[in-house]
Amino acid sequence: MSTDTAFFSVDRVSHAYEDGTAVLRAIDWSIPAGAFHCLVGRSGCGKTTLLKLVAGLVQATEGGVRIEGQAIQGPSPKVGFVFQAPALLEWLSVIDNVLLPISLHRRVQVADRGTAAELLELVGIADLAKRHPGQLSGGQQSRAALARALVTSPPALLMDEPFAALDAITREELQDDLLRLVALRRTTVLFVTHDIAEAVYLGDRVAVMDQGKIALTTSIDLAKPRACDCRYDPHFTAHCQKIRAAMTLHTVELD
Amino acid sequence: MRKRLPSLALLLALLAGWEAVVRLAGVSALVIPAPSAVFAVLWSGLVTPGFLWQHIWVTGAETLLGFALGCSIGFVCGLVLGEVEPLRRLLWPYVLATQVVPKLALGPIFIIWFGFGMTSTVVITALICFFPLLENTMTGLQAATPEKRDLFRMLGARQWQTLLRLKIPSGLPVIMAGVRIAIVLALVGAVVGEFIGGSEGLGASIIAAQGMMDSTLMFALFIAIAAMGLLFYQLTLIIERWLLRGWLKGTIT
Repeated sequence: MSTDTAFFSVDRVSHAYEDGTAVLRAIDWSIPAGAFHCLVGRSGCGKTTLLKLVAGLVQATEGGVRIEGQAIQGPSPKVGFVFQAPALLEWLSVIDNVLLPISLHRRVQVADRGTAAELLELVGIADLAKRHPGQLSGGQQSRAALARALVTSPPALLMDEPFAALDAITREELQDDLLRLVALRRTTVLFVTHDIAEAVYLGDRVAVMDQGKIALTTSIDLAKPRACDCRYDPHFTAHCQKIRAAMTLHTVELD
Repeated sequence: MRKRLPSLALLLALLAGWEAVVRLAGVSALVIPAPSAVFAVLWSGLVTPGFLWQHIWVTGAETLLGFALGCSIGFVCGLVLGEVEPLRRLLWPYVLATQVVPKLALGPIFIIWFGFGMTSTVVITALICFFPLLENTMTGLQAATPEKRDLFRMLGARQWQTLLRLKIPSGLPVIMAGVRIAIVLALVGAVVGEFIGGSEGLGASIIAAQGMMDSTLMFALFIAIAAMGLLFYQLTLIIERWLLRGWLKGTIT
């Protein structure tokens, strides 16, 4: 893999908890600018830790992460993060939540309000701008969290199972909206999920993580932009089976 | 209003029963005064000649001063201890130890330090209000979820921004619960503080009434204190609702 055009480069990253339990073992990975990579794995396989390492929220025990060639020291303003829970501030209206990344650093201007309103339009909750998070459904909250991550137009997004708590139909809608938004802005995405079908549907490339190692990486050669019916394509199913097999490999060996 | 009607009816029934028992059984006014007598005293205290107002004013001022002082100091100390981990580890055992000391027992020493009168009472009241705020502020600061803390780190927020814009707002419901506890305790502190070292105020008046064996006046004073407590508590609720209006919007639709 060439690292010249990579947005994120993960170089031989290992990580262990304070008690010495290894979580990640010598991970190498690079994500080209504008690519959409997915990372699948069971719970507890270390995928969230890897994501937090790339975000700069956790310091690697060994190895390091570079963003556009620069070694990271901590969270970078070039990277937006979408959490598993929407993590909206209950005491602020939706629009003020979306504007939070801006209002933490400078006075919010009229143009910023315009940007935020446009984003809410794009994620389909423009009419809820004045509401409070408690008045929103789970899907609407996830949309607001997505808009918040995009308001500063970061070149990259890190997403930690952002749609895991949603029902199937809402999740599919949000997946399509996400693909549309990041294609529009040419955003680099690293998307962590435990849902194989979600990974295949969203990703240009999918990596499988198992016991702190990358067990498999595979390119997904389905047509872009994705359409809903591609989920029922035999190709799609073939990809899913291949990934499923990589996830269960070690248990098969044990049997 | 319709829902409160039964409670109101119960109160009237109880008062009527009380009046009847006192009159029919001929209970001495020294032991239990009749409600009618108590209201007569209350009337003369509040309307003509209105001798109670001065005491209400004194006790109210002591309560609110002590409350404001104790709450602000408790809040600020809670912020400092909540944010500065080494300081918390150093001071926490002492905070716990002092919390166990019955604050009212310190009244006599405060009288030696600050003299009889308002200052001693305000200090006792402030001391009583200090602890609920200290503890609830420290607890409240931990209320923000790890994801929200990570969010603020991701957004490059400084420590004071995280405190002001995440931790304090997240903890506000818990902090306000402390304020509600404090306002009730404040009135207790002021009244008992006056028992010990006051010459004016509702608490001091109870002691004076005891000296005159005037049970009727004592009952009238109880009612005045209870009414004052209810008023302060309601005011706190209004302030709380105003401060938490953002959260409440999420629950009422």
